[in-house]
Amino acid sequence: MSQPIIQTQELTKHYGEVKALDHLNLTVFEGEIFGFLGPNGAGKTTTLLTLMGLTVPTSGTATVGGYDIIKDSRKVRQIAGMLPEGAGFYEDLTARQNLDYICQLNDIPKLEREKTIKQLLDAVGLGERADMKVEKFSRGMKQRLGIAQVLIKRPKIAFFDEPTIGLDPQGVKEIREMLIGLNKEKGLTVFLSSHLLYEVQQTCQRVGIIRAGKLIVADTIENLSNRIGGKDKIVVELELSKLDADLIREIKGINGVLSVDQENNKINIHMESDKSKEVSETITKHGATILLMKPKEHSLEEIFLEYYKEGT
Amino acid sequence: MAGAMAVCRKELADDLGSRRYIVLFGLILIMSTMSAYQGAQYIRNNAGASFLAIFYGSQFGFSFTTLMVFFGPIIGLALGFDAINKERTSGSLSVLLCQPIYRDSVINGKFIAATTALSLLVASTIGIMSGIAMSVLGFGPGLADVSKIVVFTLLTAVYLAFWLGLGILFSTVTKKISTSILMTIATWLFFSIVITIVAALLASYIVPIAMPSGPSGGGGGGGESIFNSPEYRALLERRNTIQTSIQRISPSYLYNEAGSAILGITGGGGGFGGGGFIGVGRGTPFRAAAGGNLAQALAIVWPQITAIVVGMVICFAASYMLFLRLEIRPEG
Repeated sequence: MSQPIIQTQELTKHYGEVKALDHLNLTVFEGEIFGFLGPNGAGKTTTLLTLMGLTVPTSGTATVGGYDIIKDSRKVRQIAGMLPEGAGFYEDLTARQNLDYICQLNDIPKLEREKTIKQLLDAVGLGERADMKVEKFSRGMKQRLGIAQVLIKRPKIAFFDEPTIGLDPQGVKEIREMLIGLNKEKGLTVFLSSHLLYEVQQTCQRVGIIRAGKLIVADTIENLSNRIGGKDKIVVELELSKLDADLIREIKGINGVLSVDQENNKINIHMESDKSKEVSETITKHGATILLMKPKEHSLEEIFLEYYKEGT
Repeated sequence: MAGAMAVCRKELADDLGSRRYIVLFGLILIMSTMSAYQGAQYIRNNAGASFLAIFYGSQFGFSFTTLMVFFGPIIGLALGFDAINKERTSGSLSVLLCQPIYRDSVINGKFIAATTALSLLVASTIGIMSGIAMSVLGFGPGLADVSKIVVFTLLTAVYLAFWLGLGILFSTVTKKISTSILMTIATWLFFSIVITIVAALLASYIVPIAMPSGPSGGGGGGGESIFNSPEYRALLERRNTIQTSIQRISPSYLYNEAGSAILGITGGGGGFGGGGFIGVGRGTPFRAAAGGNLAQALAIVWPQITAIVVGMVICFAASYMLFLRLEIRPEG
């Protein structure tokens, strides 16, 4: 892994009595797609707003691309772009005019503007709608325009706050592919805040889980999965032709089986040591057929819930 | 000032192209040209009249000064009342603030742009009025009158900028546009109408004047001579002083006083003075211009002018500070 590009130290933000951020320590490395996970109100948006200098932390510090977020907040905004949650544009202007305004604010010389805007609109698939007023845009189109807006300044880091919220599956997929593409092709560091676990799992290399303003854990999904798995030793997922309470009781009775939990027609068996043989014999004896039997992989949802349980 | 110019350019284009600006400009222009035409007719028929009569003289409808007294607040507030909160609700503010600009560039740019739009409105209206009057009369204002027109234009622009500042302040303190619209309307009503009524009521409460026929008449004078008695006139004077002092809370009243003095309207108060809103419909009776020297006029009304300028500065400074401290929160 490469150099850290975002680092927060004991970053704290109070809104009156509410602690939106509570001594947050977070590191994001250059060139990665970092997924920032947490339920609504956990402090994700506050973190992004603070890093971009839109709100001032109560205490603590952070650097983005080597610049202090308080002292050099304008420099931070020169190298980092953000698509805020619920980002809006000037509805009575066209896509091109909106981007032109952003170009001006970024001091992009007039001669370059036209070319930059055209390239970006093509890149986000809005090339043909360049002269359409934004008020006629669909939500997905607005989000794509939002991504173009982030890229105008050729940022090193891009923050996306819930970029796919309210989009249809097709829109979600397009945005996801765009983010992955930007990361691969341009080496853009992507900081993706989301509460959509599936999206994060599909997109991110590393995730951080935030809860009540504190970072609970940050690691690769693989490592997190292993860490949870390690505690339970072995978990086997089974799908059976028939399933009843007697059978579950019998499986539970096997020496070394810790617990059995049922999800629809599947069961997960948690074992202290590998008792797969005993388990399959018991099932066969009971007259059921094993349709599927495999070691359980932890989905991000489980990881997430597990870490949330731990935190309480 | 990084970014302020870009913000200003965009906002100015928005303002000048906005429907509300065009509609207000059109209305002001129509009414002003009518009053200019009437003023020119009056000047033609009265040899001693000053060229400046076109701004305060109007037999039918509004004169330019009355127009500004009553609709000036609306024009200024209309350009300011949603400057910040509209961008907050639409989400464009957070996108704007993610750009490498200082935050004050946004509010400075907006204020400069709207002030420019207002100054353009005032200057071009006054210019067109003068042009019409000149073509009707066949002669233009003298040098002294030109300097008065220039000062009057500046005063009007600053007066409108005050209302603009107040509008921007409303848009900074409120989150919803509907709230700032209500605040705007309430402010306009208060300073244009309510204050006149309050001033009159308070003055008559503080200085009661007994009716001559009343049995408990305080004054000793008898019958019809009561109106001429020095005590009665003193009371009336006191009452007027109190009423005027209360009305001076209103920037519109201050503007009217200052504008009248600069234009050389005698008898203070002009069309607005005592009559308030009721007086407006009647228009302002023409008065023979006293001529008057600009420097003398400014010496008399500098407190009024200062008050308007200070008011503008306070409104802008307050919105500036509030905007810089504005927390961009999750959920807007």
